[in-house]
Amino acid sequence: MDREAEFGRLYEAHRVAVHAYFTGKTGDRQLAADLMQEVFLRAWQHLDKVAGLPEDGQRGWLFTVARNLSVDAARRQRTADGAQRALESEPAGRPGVTSPPASTAVLAAERAGVVAAAIATLPERQRVTLTMAAAGELNSAEIGAALGVPAGTVRYRLSQARRTLAEALGDYDDAQEEER
Amino acid sequence: MSLDDDLAAWAATVRLPDADATAIFRRIVAVPVPLPAAAAPRLKPSWWRGYNAGFAARMVASTAPVRLAA
Repeated sequence: MDREAEFGRLYEAHRVAVHAYFTGKTGDRQLAADLMQEVFLRAWQHLDKVAGLPEDGQRGWLFTVARNLSVDAARRQRTADGAQRALESEPAGRPGVTSPPASTAVLAAERAGVVAAAIATLPERQRVTLTMAAAGELNSAEIGAALGVPAGTVRYRLSQARRTLAEALGDYDDAQEEER
Repeated sequence: MSLDDDLAAWAATVRLPDADATAIFRRIVAVPVPLPAAAAPRLKPSWWRGYNAGFAARMVASTAPVRLAA
């Protein structure tokens, strides 16, 4: 099999899961795509080694790279946040710039918006786990292997996350009911 | 609508579109792959064993007793 076809098989088998992992980590689909690209670029450069691994081994290799990249990305994000806070603390002096009314629009949006907002408020471990299960189409054992935690821990995090979501949606439904 | 349905609907909004995934794939495979480094010539383990044994023997033979300070 030629190199590109071999890589294509690896990419198709794991890209959704890797992207879901970064989406859970960053909460940003585009940033997640950039990080996913970086992971697979490294796989492309080390394909001779990765392609020879069994399926689980390939996933393990990819997620080891992904976890390392997410640590670097988080560090950069903290630096950027610090810079942003410093900018925000400066006197504004920019009349005419107003904050967009996006938050109220999101909160008032339909059910999908409520789900997204509730997921965004989950603790990171629960959010990543839930995103890998829902968007990454991985089971508990696969998520556990990717994150380096037991499958039981994954199931516990999933149940906690689902409970939080159910409560958020219950509140939303109650509010909708009262409006009627 | 069940929670699973809600999650599936949300997941559909955060997944990477296939067109974007294909574009990323094309960008990656366009990157030239570095050639594997040529293996450096290596000495046989037996050479190192002989060298180490000779080195130790030379050290022992050339070491003179230290005179005590007067």
